[in-house]
Amino acid sequence: MLEDLLILIRHDLGGILRVRNVKGKRSKKRSLFRNSLRYIAAITVAVVVLWGIISMVQLLGWSFFQSAIIDGIDFGATLFNFIVIVSFMGSIAVSVSTVANSSRMEYLMCMPVSLRTLFLEKTIVVIFYNALIYMIIGTPVVIGLAVSSTAPYALLSIPTFLVMLIVNVTLGVALGGLIGLTISRFLAGRRRLKQIGWFLGTSVSIIIGTLYYYSLFASDSGLAGFFAVFLQFAQQIGLSSDFSPGGAMNAVTIRPIVGLPINLVDILLAVLFLLISIMLIYANAIVSETAHYSGWLASGSKRSSKTEVKIAHSVWNPSDIPLLKMSTTTSVSMWYNTTSVRREGRVLANYLVGPMRTVLWFFLIFLAPGGSLAGIAPFIIISAMIPFAVSYGVYFAGYELVYEGKNLMNLQLAPASLTDYVKGKVFSAVPFTAIATGLASVLVVFVQPSLWIYIPAVIISSIFLTLASGGIASYSAATGGDFKAQRNITRQRGAAVQMPIRGTWAMARAHLLPNMIGFMGVGAILGLGIFLNPLFSYLVVPLFALICVQIMRSYIGKSGRKLQTIEASDYL
Amino acid sequence: MIEAVALTKQFSEFIAVDSLSFHVNPGEIYGLLGPNGSGKSTTMKMLLGLLKPTAGSARINGFDVQQHTVEAKRSMGYVPEEPVLPERLTGWEYINYVSDIWRVPRGVERDKEIDDLLTLLDIKDASDDLIETYSKGMSRKISLVAALIHNPKILILDEVQAGIDPRGAATIKEILVGLRDRGNTILMSTHILEIAERMCGRIGIINHGKMIAEGTMDELRTKAKGQQSLEDIFLDLTGGPDMQKIAEFLGE
Repeated sequence: MLEDLLILIRHDLGGILRVRNVKGKRSKKRSLFRNSLRYIAAITVAVVVLWGIISMVQLLGWSFFQSAIIDGIDFGATLFNFIVIVSFMGSIAVSVSTVANSSRMEYLMCMPVSLRTLFLEKTIVVIFYNALIYMIIGTPVVIGLAVSSTAPYALLSIPTFLVMLIVNVTLGVALGGLIGLTISRFLAGRRRLKQIGWFLGTSVSIIIGTLYYYSLFASDSGLAGFFAVFLQFAQQIGLSSDFSPGGAMNAVTIRPIVGLPINLVDILLAVLFLLISIMLIYANAIVSETAHYSGWLASGSKRSSKTEVKIAHSVWNPSDIPLLKMSTTTSVSMWYNTTSVRREGRVLANYLVGPMRTVLWFFLIFLAPGGSLAGIAPFIIISAMIPFAVSYGVYFAGYELVYEGKNLMNLQLAPASLTDYVKGKVFSAVPFTAIATGLASVLVVFVQPSLWIYIPAVIISSIFLTLASGGIASYSAATGGDFKAQRNITRQRGAAVQMPIRGTWAMARAHLLPNMIGFMGVGAILGLGIFLNPLFSYLVVPLFALICVQIMRSYIGKSGRKLQTIEASDYL
Repeated sequence: MIEAVALTKQFSEFIAVDSLSFHVNPGEIYGLLGPNGSGKSTTMKMLLGLLKPTAGSARINGFDVQQHTVEAKRSMGYVPEEPVLPERLTGWEYINYVSDIWRVPRGVERDKEIDDLLTLLDIKDASDDLIETYSKGMSRKISLVAALIHNPKILILDEVQAGIDPRGAATIKEILVGLRDRGNTILMSTHILEIAERMCGRIGIINHGKMIAEGTMDELRTKAKGQQSLEDIFLDLTGGPDMQKIAEFLGE
């Protein structure tokens, strides 16, 4: 089994990590620099981080760092638990997606390798992707601190960091995968119920994952009051940070750097989590094998070639909505996009609730001080709407455009404007932003009733921000999208391991630009209202809306033109 | 030898394969025919151990597929109906990947074997290209190379000649006939009935998951009461085109 596993991993990664062009004449050639760009970027980041850490230690002295780390030693546990939670939340659908798309692995499945080995290898690849970003940033930090440290066993923390990082990511990915498979088992053969179950299961997992992390992060103070029930529950079942995977990682990684003693219990705990991660990943492979072989994921079918059953399909026509005039192409695109996402429960849940992960990343710094910043809680909630509004635009217009894949090639032949088609995708995100911001507004009014006056302004701004975000994302999709993403197990819809937009700049543009616009715009709207007069907020809203609409128009125009000229070979 | 005994596969309420029994002897090419959706590919997937039968059993080279899946697979080569291959590998890399898993010893001999097969099937020139650039026919040819590289005793081929140029199709035919003469066991499905008629020693026709006729061409002719060609026999057993609807469509 191990030999098979190594062969599979070697060839799988060999194709993905290729730097040199292949010799064949039919394949596209790119410069060595372009092929190596991601490695150069990763190495540059690692070197800069390492240099920064060593320089800071030289500047401020090791004793300063040592005491700072010792004072905030628990912070490490929280940070490492974050890795587990994020890996978990991103992996709920991974195993099910892998099994559901196993027809793409038929060429491997017919070979003399057990199915569990194949699924194990795919999970290892997913773990590799999940761990990569933490490895690139975390390893130079640990190396920098370890080489600067005066503690006798500081260098030991480098291998323990790498091992425990893999352990923590494995725990998250394997657990997420197992939960996903369990949901699919309970709902096997019931298509509608399965979609509802997937939606609820994925949403609850993301929410609980976020709250669990938040509870570990915020401890007993300040903002934790919002989630007192969950906190209490977490404590009751023993999920305090010391006995968590992050706690164990912190104990064997950070403590040696600053010369703090490591207890035997800490070592045993780290070994225990290592064993649990191995057990979980193996269990994941066994359950995946059973799920595939027994056909849990095959949806119920009543096919019949004998009887003719005429089905009348109802089609929602968005342009029937009063005051909403749009072309037939835009209307059809909006209907199709909404229907297509709605039919896949786990995709819908990932799209709707998934931005919580982004919010967590963005507001880590604000959540850290706990109680001392409780006063700005309503503003944090308002600001959290921005990543939601942006993400909906990115998902519905950017990602979904890429996932259309081959269908876009057919649309090139259709007598329809691709710009109008893209516009429909952007519009399809708007109702979701309206609902999400509406719900968040209720929370804001509940926490800080005096802010009610800004709520309509924020909801309207968020809706227009979604339009801008969707426009930008659609252009990123057209320029950097992998239109064959659905064929790649780690990149397909709902997998959330690799993004369907591959180009580095395209990805950065899709995520960063609209967030910057959102934070600046909504910041200005709130700032003017709070410091001058609420009236000023409402004077700025139309201007912000106009800017967003112009951004959307400009980008969807460019996106439509680009999509019209993409060669068929990029889709096929 | 391939043996299927009362193989059944049910998806929810839909019975894809219904108590199907047949066997393929060494030195024989068996044609599994049937309309689209009749259960041919599902049957093949159960024989390959990719799907669990709802009932019945399958034995490959003496091994029960459910009990000894890996051992059963060891003697098989398979070309799927729609080969989905690792697109980020070149043809050459893919065949080497497959060869590694089959434990074909690395070295000059293996390279020569791969080279010979690629040349035979006219894809040597594209072997250094990424598979994502391959046409359907080329993907099918490279799949056949992957299926043959470990000299399997048993071959399961799902529409192997579909989408392949005439020269390639003729080459594949000659390879299969040669393998049959060497004593290999070959199960193939095809919609090109002339190929089945010319190559297959015995033919099984399935419809709605059930075996509706089985035997040599002569036996099938006897069953179909005077029909001569396999196409006539097939249409007689599974139903021909609806001429009235065609006329309506054409506006006649």
